[in-house]
Amino acid sequence: MSIFSFFRSAPRPSAVQAKERLQIVMAHERAGRTGPDYLPMLQQELLAVIAKYIDIDQNKVEVKLDRGGDCSTLELNIELPAREAAKALKEAAKAAVGKANGAAAHDDEVSDSVKMAAGGGALTNGGVKKRR
Amino acid sequence: MGKIIVMTSGKGGVGKTTSSAAFATGLALRGFKTVVIDFDVGLRNLDLVMGCERRVVFDFINVINGEAKLNQALIKDKRIDNLYILPTSQTRDKDALTKEGVEKVLNELSKEFDYILCDSPAGIERGALMSLYFADHAIIVTNPEVSSVRDSDRILGVLNSKSRRAERGEEPVTQQLLLTRYDPERVERGEMLKVDDVLEILAIPLLGVIPESQAVLRASNVGMPVILDEHSNAGQAYIDAVGRFLGEDLEHRFVSVPKKGLFSRLLRRTA
Repeated sequence: MSIFSFFRSAPRPSAVQAKERLQIVMAHERAGRTGPDYLPMLQQELLAVIAKYIDIDQNKVEVKLDRGGDCSTLELNIELPAREAAKALKEAAKAAVGKANGAAAHDDEVSDSVKMAAGGGALTNGGVKKRR
Repeated sequence: MGKIIVMTSGKGGVGKTTSSAAFATGLALRGFKTVVIDFDVGLRNLDLVMGCERRVVFDFINVINGEAKLNQALIKDKRIDNLYILPTSQTRDKDALTKEGVEKVLNELSKEFDYILCDSPAGIERGALMSLYFADHAIIVTNPEVSSVRDSDRILGVLNSKSRRAERGEEPVTQQLLLTRYDPERVERGEMLKVDDVLEILAIPLLGVIPESQAVLRASNVGMPVILDEHSNAGQAYIDAVGRFLGEDLEHRFVSVPKKGLFSRLLRRTA
């Protein structure tokens, strides 16, 4: 044993990590065993509420769960589409530009103008965090 | 009335069949009339571990389906009196295990035998559920390793909710832990979960600790339950575990690294 290793803190034995990981995951599994697995239902209902007001794309929903020792996080990221009004405007603009140029080659410019018309924020991100 | 024991684990490859063979043999050696049943339909292996694979004519499924009498399917062990093996089918699938069929066979066996040991397949599907449904006692075979411990906890949950005793609201199935493939040297190096760690997590009484041992493979090679290798650590640990199951208070052996003698310590110092 060299004199330096005396000062270095010993690495945490892997068995200790195994025990801690097991304790955390099994505490959650035991708690979940008694009740129904509510996460998928919670997700569906939350989305239903949001969908009632906003036309959301189901493929642009991200659900993340991080189970920790004393605190778990449920993160719901939903990408909101351009507002209905903005959509209509976009279509109108497209049609106008299409008429003017006789081609649809200016899509980028069109979306830019639409974004501005919609107040510069057609796309917004919504995040829900829950602590328990 | 015979007692029904299930040897179960959730995870595969942890030593259920090895332990079933050893335990059944140990109970028979103590004078109890014992039968060990293979519930792993389609993946029969208890016959090989017990060394009676060439004597299988009829099986558990034949008896359930009424194609053979129970006495025709039971194989009497050649080494030990009081020990019988009921092999399973290698060709059918697990759906052949009906609750009514299994119950009928177990009822018939419990009139004649003191202990009926059910060797569960891995998983929590039909075969495993049928093997534990009628149990009075459960022996949970676990390796000191994360996936095995987690699966054992899962199977404990199943025992507490889906066994007949649980369904009827009777006294719960007794549960005891058999920790197998334990390596005290790796535990000392901090590479393996300690007995106490596993006990703390699973919170069930300890029936025995079977050390990792080369004797287990040697025994299965020749179709002999390892408990008959009385010189091996594993064999002795199984003998102790059977004693504890029968209510004896025995100290746990093979759980720590044996202290090195003066001679080997001197050798190490000069090396």
